[in-house]
Amino acid sequence: MGRCPNHKNSKKKGFSHKSARRAKFLAKGDDVIHKELGDGFMKKPLPLNEDQPGMGQFYCLHCDRYFSSSAVMDEHFRTKRHKKRVKMMQGDAPHTQLDAELAAGMGEPDNGPSLRVRDVAMGL
Amino acid sequence: MRLEKCWFCSSTIYPGHGIQFVRNDAKIFRFCRSKCHKNFKMKRNPRKVKWTKAYRKLHGKELNKDATFELERRRNRPERYDRNVVQNTIKALKRIEEIRLKREEKFWENRMKVKKDKRADLEELKQNIHLVKAPVALQEDPSLALPKKMEKVKVKVEMREAGETRAMEE
Repeated sequence: MGRCPNHKNSKKKGFSHKSARRAKFLAKGDDVIHKELGDGFMKKPLPLNEDQPGMGQFYCLHCDRYFSSSAVMDEHFRTKRHKKRVKMMQGDAPHTQLDAELAAGMGEPDNGPSLRVRDVAMGL
Repeated sequence: MRLEKCWFCSSTIYPGHGIQFVRNDAKIFRFCRSKCHKNFKMKRNPRKVKWTKAYRKLHGKELNKDATFELERRRNRPERYDRNVVQNTIKALKRIEEIRLKREEKFWENRMKVKKDKRADLEELKQNIHLVKAPVALQEDPSLALPKKMEKVKVKVEMREAGETRAMEE
C-alpha cells in the first residue's frame, strides 16, 4: 500500500514523467538547430550554466545535448545517431510554413509597401 | 477571416477545423486533421511523404511555377476597402481559376503522355522482337534478347571479410 512513486525496485527507476515531459518541451526544433548552425552558434564560447551537466561547456548542437566531460562528448560524436543528425543538418533547410504555402499554390507573402521613412524617401 | 494552410499537407484549413501547436518559441504549426498532426509528432518530413503537396511539387508531379499562383498570397498589410477593387478582384478570381485548371490539366496530360508512350514502346518491342531478329537467331545469340528481370544471387561474404582482416593484419 502507498508505494513511493519513484519506482524504487522497478525497471522504471530514475524515470520521471514530469522531467521527461519538460525535456521534450524544452528541446530545440530541427529548424532552430539548422538556423543556429548557419549562424555560427558554436563559434562563441558557451555560457556557464550550473543546471547543465559539465557546467554547460560540452554541448552538441546537432543533437541539442549537454555532456559531463569532453571524453563523454567524444564518445557521443562516434555514435550512429549523432552522425545521422549531422548528415541531416548538412542537407536542405527543414520544411517551414512558407514551404507549405508555396506548395499549396500561394505566392510569396505580400507585406505591402515599406513604411520606414528612409525607404519611402529612396522610393522603395 | 483567414484561410490557413496545413503545415504538413498544405491543404486549406477552414475556421473551426484542425488543430494548432504553438511551440516553446511561439512558432505556430497548423494542421488540417489529426492525420497531419500525428505525422508531425512522428517527426516525419513532408518532403518525403508521398501524399503531401510538398512532395508532389518537389518531384514534378504537379505544376510548380506558374503566374496563376501569384494571386493567392499572405497579405500582412490590410487593404483599404474600395468597391471597384473588390469587383475587379472577384471578376479576376474566376478567370484566373479557369486558366489555372486548364494549365494543370495540360500539365497532367503531358506527364501521362510520356509515361504512356514509353510503356507502349516497350510493349511493342517485346511483342515484335521477331521482326527484328528471327527467334532461332535469338536463341543462338542471347545478347540480342531483351533483358530479363535481375535475379538475386547468394554470395558468401564471410570468407571475403576474413581474408580482408588478415590482409590488414599483415
